[in-house]
Amino acid sequence: MTHLSRSSSRSSRSYVAHRRTAQFLVYSVVIAASLLALYPMGLMALNSFKSDNEMVINPGGWPINWTLKSYGNIFKYHGGMWVNFLVSVGVSLSSTLIAVLFCAMAGFAFSKYRFKGSGAIFAMLLATMMVPREITIPGRYLLFAKLMWLDKLQALILPTITPVIGLFLIRQYMDAIPDALLEAARIDGAGHFQVFWRIMVPTSAPVLGAFSILQFMGVWNQYLWPAIAVRSRNLQPLMVVLPMIVDPEIGFIPAWGTIMAGCTLSVIPILIVFVAFQDTFLSSVVIGAVKE
Amino acid sequence: MGIEAARTSAGIKRMKRRKSWADSLAPYLFVAPFLLAFVVFFLGPAVYSLVLSFFRYRGYGTAKWIGLWNYQAILQYKVFWQGVSNVFFYWVAHTIPMMIIAFMLAVLISSKVVKHKSVFKPIIYMPQIVAGVASALLFKNFFGTRYGILNSVLGLAIPWLENMSLARWAVVIMLIWRGTGYWFVIYLAGLTSIGVEVVDAAIVDGANAWQRLTRITIPLMRNSFMFAFVIDGIVTLRLYAEPNILGGNAGDVCPAGMAPVLNTMMINLRSGRFGQASAVGWLLFLMIAAVSYVQYRLLRGRKQEA
Repeated sequence: MTHLSRSSSRSSRSYVAHRRTAQFLVYSVVIAASLLALYPMGLMALNSFKSDNEMVINPGGWPINWTLKSYGNIFKYHGGMWVNFLVSVGVSLSSTLIAVLFCAMAGFAFSKYRFKGSGAIFAMLLATMMVPREITIPGRYLLFAKLMWLDKLQALILPTITPVIGLFLIRQYMDAIPDALLEAARIDGAGHFQVFWRIMVPTSAPVLGAFSILQFMGVWNQYLWPAIAVRSRNLQPLMVVLPMIVDPEIGFIPAWGTIMAGCTLSVIPILIVFVAFQDTFLSSVVIGAVKE
Repeated sequence: MGIEAARTSAGIKRMKRRKSWADSLAPYLFVAPFLLAFVVFFLGPAVYSLVLSFFRYRGYGTAKWIGLWNYQAILQYKVFWQGVSNVFFYWVAHTIPMMIIAFMLAVLISSKVVKHKSVFKPIIYMPQIVAGVASALLFKNFFGTRYGILNSVLGLAIPWLENMSLARWAVVIMLIWRGTGYWFVIYLAGLTSIGVEVVDAAIVDGANAWQRLTRITIPLMRNSFMFAFVIDGIVTLRLYAEPNILGGNAGDVCPAGMAPVLNTMMINLRSGRFGQASAVGWLLFLMIAAVSYVQYRLLRGRKQEA
């Protein structure tokens, strides 16, 4: 009896100890991973409070002289980078609005109507997701050159307004919306567009929101096409400008303090959306994973 | 699929009751904006690029039909093959460790041991919200030879970004840092979708955590791993911003030793060789199609096996 209880208490003690070690190990791995994930971002934020000169002697440490000089340079360098920030905001917002509207309208048609060629067209659109979009660049460059659209804001917006992934996601979501809901609206005398605007758009709000985040991030992050299509300094998006920031007096040497301030600035809009709509944000990652 | 089709067609029938010309026109009006924009800004330029790839055309004057010559020229460029080998290196070198780390973190976070899931999940995802360009700049600053963070900590002057074999690893490290959070979130969603019954049954049978992981979870996730590996490969084959910003100065392209395939397109485009630039794009497409086809065959083989 005593023997039994002693052994069981020992084993439960060793079980607890075992659990504790497991917990300790798991937590150390998870915390280490979190620190590694945050370290470059934290350093970016810290370095944005150093001057360009301090970045040369103290690139990795705590700021010696906290200063907003690098943020001030955003208004000076490259002819005023804040303009490029506004270009990025404007381009990403308008592209997102247009893309969501176009995808929702087309998604509605593919989901709730049957019309000639609908199946074939949809299949064709899906098939083009296999084609890397960079293929369009030489052709589009010549086309836009003919139209005199290079070096204009539409060169940045228009190529992004038809993401097939958005059409696909929205259509899939709308397929699950019961037809009875539409029918009811029709009996109440709603026309085609009213059904779309009053019924389909509000009911698909979750997927429209998730897709908006994907689209905004995608356009915000673009680099290759904008770097080719827009040469005027005040029309380039922030991403194209960031790598080119050099000290205007010395030239050639990257102005690291200012670059870090610019990088921080480039993260802020996305960070705000991430903090405000974290669940939608993370679910957009998962639903967007059907990509390609 | 069958049920879905039947359901929609029933819905359509009900909607078609009072069908007028406006009713039959409506769907076309709804798809028109998307389709028109798609044809003008994607399909048109893509087909135009395909046509261009068979011509010699410098953007002005007359285009000259030269058949497959552009492709032959590209395939003889050393830089092109260097680019191909670089992107395949980036793919294999970053995707395998990244997937292992992401999956391991997803397993740990989803386990009962970790209590603050809602804290760790967004933190581990966080690097994803930094744009590729910005994160490349962070790592360029980190690996810089003279004013870099790493060298200033080590007190050395190792040419991380000038020595091509080191620079390629710098790109890999950057890709792992930025990509892990993405796949972590995907795997976390995948893990929670594994049936509770399966896991419970295994617990009843006396399987410990390690056995449950290696005998149930990993085999169940095998196809997702394959899929993720290929998807990530397709993205990596199209890499552009990251290596160029890490290795290039002030917006220039990086040296050929670390350049991705798309650099061959850019160089040709910048010097007005539109035919050759297009040929690179379509060769890239062929590479992606080949990779996807291999994956498709492997997945189908797996399914027949099971």
